[in-house]
Amino acid sequence: MIKTENLHKKFGKLEVLKGIDLNIHPGEVVVLVGVSGSGKSTLLRCLNFLEKAQEGNIYIDGRKIDRKKDNLPKVREEVGMVFQHFNLFPHKTVLENIIEAPMIVKKMDKPKAEQLARELLAKVGLSDKADVYPNKLSGGQKQRVAIARALAMEPKALLFDEPTSALDPELVGEVLQVMQDLANEGMTMVVVTHEMKFAREVASRIIMLDEGRIIENADPDTFFNHSSNERTRQFLEMVNVK
Amino acid sequence: MPETLVTIYEVFMRTYEGFLKAALVTLKITAIALVIGIVLGIVFALMRISKSKILSTIANIYISVIRGTPLIVQIMFLYYGITSIIVLSNFWAGAIALGVHNGAYIAEIFRGAIQGVDRGQREASLALGMNKNQTMRRIIFPQALRIAIPPLGNQFIITLKDSSLVYVIGVTELFGLANREAASSFLPFETFMVVGLYYLVLVLIFTGLLRLYENKLNVDKL
Repeated sequence: MIKTENLHKKFGKLEVLKGIDLNIHPGEVVVLVGVSGSGKSTLLRCLNFLEKAQEGNIYIDGRKIDRKKDNLPKVREEVGMVFQHFNLFPHKTVLENIIEAPMIVKKMDKPKAEQLARELLAKVGLSDKADVYPNKLSGGQKQRVAIARALAMEPKALLFDEPTSALDPELVGEVLQVMQDLANEGMTMVVVTHEMKFAREVASRIIMLDEGRIIENADPDTFFNHSSNERTRQFLEMVNVK
Repeated sequence: MPETLVTIYEVFMRTYEGFLKAALVTLKITAIALVIGIVLGIVFALMRISKSKILSTIANIYISVIRGTPLIVQIMFLYYGITSIIVLSNFWAGAIALGVHNGAYIAEIFRGAIQGVDRGQREASLALGMNKNQTMRRIIFPQALRIAIPPLGNQFIITLKDSSLVYVIGVTELFGLANREAASSFLPFETFMVVGLYYLVLVLIFTGLLRLYENKLNVDKL
């Protein structure tokens, strides 16, 4: 579904990704973990070309994407993204946020887009919020709208960039629940998160990054209980799940 | 000085018909200049933030030249410059000069406002598959406009007052008329007091309208 080969990313002189080989299969939920600065968010942002990797290749659905020749908006239709700070459009209502891209990008007609939006709102449990502006929502509600907005483009995969890190603790659960439901439906997901409980219960694979390299690529049981990697064990002690 | 007040009142009563007409000219020139200024402002703001070196350099030169020279010089320059090429009334020459002048300041206001929109808005829009144009038009610009409104209002007020400078090319707007009245009546103090009041009232009305508009925009949102 999504594959990278020898991905390198530098910010000025700082090399953040030092050759990432990654292969994400359809229906997988891959959780990226690592200490801050390990490159996990940068890697995620490279996957939908919000960041430009200087070296290496990215394949979507087996097709190599050329940054110059390919139509990046078209590629991004296939790979949706949910952000840490939600990034809802403040000048649009919840419904308008969701129908925007289907109408503008896919030229879907308004009634159809609205019907789709209402179905998605029902799915994330926010049917009653269709006509309010984002500033009237709690953080958890905002993130659920953001997920609905991403789903409205019917992407083949969804990227989550620390989706619960900006939330008050009591609001984390409702967002994780929506994500778990998506995972159960077979959505391909790549998730950067510090929620180890989610990683343990929902992930099909956990990938640990350290200083721009993949140092662990394992199923949750192996990762949490049988890792032989010293850095992984240190990390798990640090996040307190051992 | 009650006698001065009486004289001011007499000047006002004697001149109000002419001044109301002149006020209309002032408003027209200001309105035309603002329309030109907003169009130029948007174009040059987009050029300035564009990745093309040529476009951003052109915009930079325009902004630097306009901000670096006095408006009165620009009015004279454009008046003699344009009217030597095409036949143009001094009213239109003045309005265009004022518009071109404003374009530079409004370009900077828009540039700041566009860059003031949270980076995440652009990323969210791109991540949904929208292209750069759609992102600018549908997501960034509407939000930038809201950020730009207070400084734009300020610029509009400056333009209204700066329009007095077109009197140098013989346009009979408020200040031009006041100048003539002051000379012919030998009452400069009173006349300029009266014309000052006209400007003040116009600015106050405009400020009020702007505030209503801002309140309307802010209801329910942001």
